[in-house]
Amino acid sequence: MADKNAQDVSAEVETTETQQPASKQKTNAFVAFWKNLGGKVKGVFGGWSNKSPRHVEADLVLNQQQQLSTGEKVKRALKAQSGWLFVAPALLLMLLFTFYPIVSAFINAFKQDLDLTGNYSGWGFDNFVHVFKGDTGTGGATFVQCLINTLVFTLVSVPLSTLIALLISVALNSIKAVQKAYQTILFLPYLTNSLAMGAVFATFFTLVNSGSGTNVGLINQFLGLFGIPPTDWMGIGAPVWELGDAVKIYWTKYLVVIIYEIWSGLPFKILILFSALQSVNKQYYDAARVDGAKRSTILWKITTPMIMPQISYLLVTGIMGGMKQYTAVVGLFGSKMGLQFEVGTMVGYVYQYIEGGSPKYGYAYAASLLLFAIIMVITFINNKITGKRSH
Amino acid sequence: MKISIQHLTKIFPSRNKGGKEVHAVEDMNIEIPSGKLVGLLGPSGCGKSTTLFMLSGLESPTSGKILFDDQDVTTLAAEKRGIGLVFQNYALYPHMTVEQNIRFPLDNMRIKKDEGNARALDAARLVQIEDLMARKPSELSGGQQQRVAIARALVKMPNVLLLDEPLSNLDARLRLQTREEIKRIQRETGITTVFVTHDQEEAMSICDIMVVMKLGVVQQIGEPQSIYDDPANLFVANFLGTPPINIFKGKIEGGKVYVGDEAISATEHEDQEVYVGIRPEGFIYDPDGVFTLDLDHVEVMGRDKSVVSTHQASTKPTVRCIIDSDVKLPEKADKLKFNIKPNKLFLFNGETEERIR
Ligand SMILES: Nc1ncnc2c1ncn2[C@@H]1O[C@H](COP(=O)(O)OP(=O)(O)O)[C@@H](O)[C@H]1O
Ligand SMILES: [Mg+2]
Repeated sequence: MADKNAQDVSAEVETTETQQPASKQKTNAFVAFWKNLGGKVKGVFGGWSNKSPRHVEADLVLNQQQQLSTGEKVKRALKAQSGWLFVAPALLLMLLFTFYPIVSAFINAFKQDLDLTGNYSGWGFDNFVHVFKGDTGTGGATFVQCLINTLVFTLVSVPLSTLIALLISVALNSIKAVQKAYQTILFLPYLTNSLAMGAVFATFFTLVNSGSGTNVGLINQFLGLFGIPPTDWMGIGAPVWELGDAVKIYWTKYLVVIIYEIWSGLPFKILILFSALQSVNKQYYDAARVDGAKRSTILWKITTPMIMPQISYLLVTGIMGGMKQYTAVVGLFGSKMGLQFEVGTMVGYVYQYIEGGSPKYGYAYAASLLLFAIIMVITFINNKITGKRSH
Repeated sequence: MKISIQHLTKIFPSRNKGGKEVHAVEDMNIEIPSGKLVGLLGPSGCGKSTTLFMLSGLESPTSGKILFDDQDVTTLAAEKRGIGLVFQNYALYPHMTVEQNIRFPLDNMRIKKDEGNARALDAARLVQIEDLMARKPSELSGGQQQRVAIARALVKMPNVLLLDEPLSNLDARLRLQTREEIKRIQRETGITTVFVTHDQEEAMSICDIMVVMKLGVVQQIGEPQSIYDDPANLFVANFLGTPPINIFKGKIEGGKVYVGDEAISATEHEDQEVYVGIRPEGFIYDPDGVFTLDLDHVEVMGRDKSVVSTHQASTKPTVRCIIDSDVKLPEKADKLKFNIKPNKLFLFNGETEERIR
């Protein structure tokens, strides 16, 4: 077949060339392109080039006839590299939307007095110095304050919500009859907008003294049943942030954020852990029971290690997500993240520099680079710890 | 410890509406003397594992009783029964080392560390895996995993050891070796052991007492040899023995047993349709014999010969006779004549398939 094709195709190439002698150079380039591509495609798809335009066929055949040994070598080399062809589109998009912004942020962080038009006065570490020195931007909290807030929210809420999700999943897994219904109910929050959820959540905790009277939220009403006086959980009724009151103001607001984050993190975690539990062979539980293990022993010594890969996945992604927390706190406390940014998160800190009257883009870039570095360090530590524990 | 199983029944409800419920075990009655190795034998799905799980307490019976040494344990939780159980696929905890696996039951019993270590090592020595203590189950071969599972079951010094097809995941050679091993361990420890298998050869070779089951119903209980020599019904006769027994359709007429036109044996039973079972080793070559077979070919197996032939009344495609290799057979023959050893010939009722004794 190859020989026959080679004959009549080379005839065709000849006629093309005689009809359009001027475009000889061009045709050659064109053929060279196809030759290249054809070679690659052939490397990837094997016999696919049978269906390709006849030019390609002709050229490939010619190629084979002229230099079989080197041609074979080239083909093998192409085949070995052909994986790149498959990842190329994804790689391109990643370069464009992930690496470019990172690199550009990295560069911009060192530009001084950067404005929206891209003008800047010079290079240096000014931005970082300002962020480190405790610049409070338009909000009112320093970077360190926001870092502490974010760390506390994340490091308390993620492990706790994973633990609670584990307990709920184990309970679900042992009650066959109600599994389907509970799964739906528990998953609903996952489908709900977190801003809306935060706003609703905020009303649970309210205590507002307005001219028309006191607005007491669900939680305060509930606590009232036990004779506990209403608390200003959200700190909205409190005076401007004063150092003396800070501790008190903090712990209630922290509590609200942490409870919210635990609660909103549950559905996804339960989904993951529940399906992990279902894939654990029931025989291990039987074996453990015969071996005299109590329920708690089975949970901690058998079940948990078995689903450790999923647990560490949740911890790692949960902590990474938690470090980037923004919408939940805005949903709860408004875009000022409290009265004066006292429950501000790191992303919130970055964001305050690019909104408002006089944005400071350089600070924003510097702060976001710091955030990036911190997340990287935490993720690294995380992987070290959980990588060891999961089998 | 003596085990007494009384009218034990397990019915699994049907999964879908209108489906049939499964009678996995029906009205089982077995007395197991202390220190014996009992084999539960039957084809796949006959309720062997279910029986074992009821003994272990992992499944609760629908009705009936289980007694350990006169103590009714029917409703006793698994962990309180003092049993060791080896699962069909071992169920070793994959995240624990061999040592941790073996120690797990001891840790649950709150045994002191030193004593626990000593006992774990003893158990490991018994099954010869003391060199593998630091490994994870995934780093062990099938045979080694199986030993770890046995060690884990033995380490708590159980009153009863239950083994669910422990050899089925091993290759042929290892299976032979390990079944000797299990027999040795059982004899050394003297633990009452229930051993489940679908392999009749395995059961015959290591059991003191064999229980043959079919579709949840016990067919026969006894010593392996006595069951082989004296099967209660066609199923048991068919299930035991390699090569399997030859079955013919026949009849009793006027005090004689007929297969085809030939009267092959005398009997005192009344006239009826019967199945005639003849063990392969029950044929004696004799040119003047009473039973004629159409010769197909002869397989020489060293110690003896296997004569493969056909007979129109046979319920199986071929009839196999095992005869001594010294016996001279005619070079060329279409038909061979045999006499039948009376103790290798069994008659079964043509309808109920019960033995006619
Ligand atoms: N949990 C269960 N639910 C429903 N049917 C079951 C269950 N376990 C076993 N069975 C049925 O009971 C019968 C006996 O099963 P099993 O004891 O496992 O057989 P064996 O171990 O002899 O192969 C089978 O028909 C099986 O399908
Ligand atoms: Mg089974």
